[in-house]
Amino acid sequence: MREVTSLYKFAAASLLLSLQFAALPLAQAAGPVVVTDHVRSELLVHAPDGIRPGKTLWLGLAIDHQPHWHTYWKNPGDSGLATTLAWKLPAGFTAGEIAWPTPKKLPLGPLTNYGYENKVLLPVPVQVPAGFSGSELKIGLHAEWLVCKEICLPEAGDFELVVPAGAALAAHGALFDATRAATPVAPEGASATARVENNALAIEVRGLPAPPSGEVQYFAEDIGVIDYAAKAGQQWVDGTLRLRVPLSPQRSESPAVMKALLVVPGQPAGWTLSIPVEGPWPALGSAAPAPATAAATTTTAPAPATSVAPAAATSFMLSLLFAFLGGALLNLMPCVFPVLSLKIFSLVQHRDQRGKAVAGGLAYTAGVVVSFVALAGLLLALRAGGAGLGWGFQLQSPLFVAGLAALFTLIGLNLAGVFEFGGVLPGALAAHRAKNPLVDDALSGALAVAVASPCTAPFMGAALGVALTEPAPRALAIFAVLGLGMAAPYLAVALVPALGRLLPRPGAWMVRFKVLMAFPMFATVVWLLWVLGQQTGIDAMAGVAAVLVALAFACWTIGTPVQSRRTRGLFAAAGVVVLAGAVHLAWPLLKAEPATAQAQAAGDWAPWSVEAVGQARAAGKPVFIDFTAAWCITCQFNKRTVLNDAQLLKDFGARNVVLLRADWTRRDPAITEQLARLGRSGVPVYVLFGANDSQPPQVLSEVLTVEQVRAALGKIRPAPM
Amino acid sequence: MKKMTTAALLAAGLLASGLAAAQATVGQPAPAFTAVDTAGKPVSLDSYKGKYVVLEWVNPDCPFVKKHYDSGNMPATQKHAAAKDVVWLSVSTSGNATKDPKVASSLNSWTKEKKATPTALVLDDGKIGQAYGAKTTPHMYLVDPAGKIVYAGAIDSKPSSNAADIAGSTNYVIQAIDEVKAGKAVSKPVTQPYGCSVKYAS
Repeated sequence: MREVTSLYKFAAASLLLSLQFAALPLAQAAGPVVVTDHVRSELLVHAPDGIRPGKTLWLGLAIDHQPHWHTYWKNPGDSGLATTLAWKLPAGFTAGEIAWPTPKKLPLGPLTNYGYENKVLLPVPVQVPAGFSGSELKIGLHAEWLVCKEICLPEAGDFELVVPAGAALAAHGALFDATRAATPVAPEGASATARVENNALAIEVRGLPAPPSGEVQYFAEDIGVIDYAAKAGQQWVDGTLRLRVPLSPQRSESPAVMKALLVVPGQPAGWTLSIPVEGPWPALGSAAPAPATAAATTTTAPAPATSVAPAAATSFMLSLLFAFLGGALLNLMPCVFPVLSLKIFSLVQHRDQRGKAVAGGLAYTAGVVVSFVALAGLLLALRAGGAGLGWGFQLQSPLFVAGLAALFTLIGLNLAGVFEFGGVLPGALAAHRAKNPLVDDALSGALAVAVASPCTAPFMGAALGVALTEPAPRALAIFAVLGLGMAAPYLAVALVPALGRLLPRPGAWMVRFKVLMAFPMFATVVWLLWVLGQQTGIDAMAGVAAVLVALAFACWTIGTPVQSRRTRGLFAAAGVVVLAGAVHLAWPLLKAEPATAQAQAAGDWAPWSVEAVGQARAAGKPVFIDFTAAWCITCQFNKRTVLNDAQLLKDFGARNVVLLRADWTRRDPAITEQLARLGRSGVPVYVLFGANDSQPPQVLSEVLTVEQVRAALGKIRPAPM
Repeated sequence: MKKMTTAALLAAGLLASGLAAAQATVGQPAPAFTAVDTAGKPVSLDSYKGKYVVLEWVNPDCPFVKKHYDSGNMPATQKHAAAKDVVWLSVSTSGNATKDPKVASSLNSWTKEKKATPTALVLDDGKIGQAYGAKTTPHMYLVDPAGKIVYAGAIDSKPSSNAADIAGSTNYVIQAIDEVKAGKAVSKPVTQPYGCSVKYAS
């Protein structure tokens, strides 16, 4: 023991000597080296071009363990504590996170830890402020680590080092380079997904650079999820790696996105993966309080699900609040305008019949809430079944869009007076009231939801992202509150007489108004046809347009007053035949392949792909991604205004930003997955990646402004080293 | 051949997760055990049916255990439990716990010195720890009167070996005891335990 210490002292002394030869000042009293009972640790600097304003320099703590002693990785595993570094740097200097090199598995009886033995360097990137003009830099560090063999000792050290600013500091370049080579990287073009299947994570990794030979080691970055000591089952099938990672029986977390490291023989540095967990986690074990009487019953009722902090770190109540606000804001979105005009119409009708107004408002609210919950339930069920879907998924189906176009055509024709229905459609005038007006109101609520879903209102992105990762009951609660928010304004007008009195009186003008309302409906049909054209192509669009004409003809045959029964029969038959013929001809067209992405990737924009992002960032360029869809009005608005701004495009060019467009008009699992990683489930999403990983990607708001994008651009740091 | 290895690996994975599933889980019955305590008396979990029971994994040599005993935090938690009529079993797991009489005597004198007041100090050569999936010292469990685990995890919310962190942390065991005694469900039934590894014979 004593020999070892003196050896270290000797090493430290000779190191100081070598520093002197390198014309560096001697360290202060605290010094760059701390020798404790079981490790020798040293503060190192690496800045081969000197410490220059606006550049990145690297600091690091090199820990040299005595044989068989170890310190821990960022996730220590079954026990232990990660090493922590607290820097003391001059104002303006900002230290990043530790760039942890790949750890080792350290088995200990039935337990497993993740950590380091022998020598390890924990490097940290530090941003030099643009205004730095000092001649030297004083670096202080307080580090704490837990070092264990059979027993554990918490140790700490205070380090101090003063280095000249102008000179190249490259004495430890080899160690920093070797550490970087032993640090995991994101494999280009690889993606992974996970599902929870009976007490294990079933993980699929696609597109790994090379089929790993030999055993893959799985390191979980997330604390409190997997059973570290259990062996992961693995299988390599057609270029896809399938892993089965057993969960800890005492799992305490349910992350929406798992972070992990894969290490295979021949690839010792390993790969980092972000693995979105599809579908809900099973509820964590929780138990109802036992009855106060000491009756030893063996079975008790299952307890409610426990709360888990969601990925987006938004608490559940906050998500509910955002959902309510987002729902209310949906009323300002252009997609819902046609339906809203009908709602206002019916409110005016009932202006002086309070009872009817209240019942109608409540029925509409019920319709909205039930539809939102049903839609969300369907989405959750489909996702649980492994489909890569997100919010707005129904509009990714050309059939659904065509159906919606037909529905709006019918409503428009009805409003224009081509035919009258028995009253299943909203907006039927009082004279032709449906037998059950409440069904009208509820149906108009369902309709409002159907058309509103493509407009992800501000605030809603985060709430929906959280919602889809929560356990099902909570997710459905969020969507129910969303519906409440959307229906709230009408409910308020219906319930509060004072608000109701602000509406105009019903009268003869309403007949004209009703016909006027047909035009927004037809305008909506045009929009839906355009979406369809984007999804499938011009043939399907024309085919569906023909079906709509046939539909209009069929409506006319029904709505025309005729004398004899026979004529009526002929009329109706003609209508049915024409409609059936048109549908028969148009049907195959809906199955057509999508239009190419070239139309989307016009001008400065290239189509998005994981590879494109990887290539751009490997070349040290920042990346801006526009997640968009033809059926998303907000996306289209932003695309044509903000993202077309000449000055902004110039700024992008000046900073070498690669512009990528991810088009989600049709289903695309890769895009769905990328959205999930960003904690979102719908479009629009705008994200700006810096040129390197020294800062997290910036996700901008859905209500995009030029200033906002420019501010985000201003925050990008230049590439390190 | 490759298929065979794959099958074997998958089987191993399934087996491991099967074993893991057999481990103690919150919401499930607590594994029954009978053992001896440091006074040489038999201790069985069944004999405490009808009462809440805390299990605490302990190792006097561990800095994390020292943090909670030297500061008086763990003894205070034991007193809080006793005042609420909750049984407290400290468990010392090591390869030679039941074989070496010195283990019991040194545990007894350490307990006295720290003014700790567990109902009993159980000696375990690894079976109880394995059954409960105890990973760290300290690792805490709360068993309800029906014999079901209602809490498993850390003693508190600040994973560190520094006693100064106790003041600003949430004591999960006190919180769980107070909640169940008030007739409520445990709000944080599972947390991530922190500390030294339980000293299983490897």
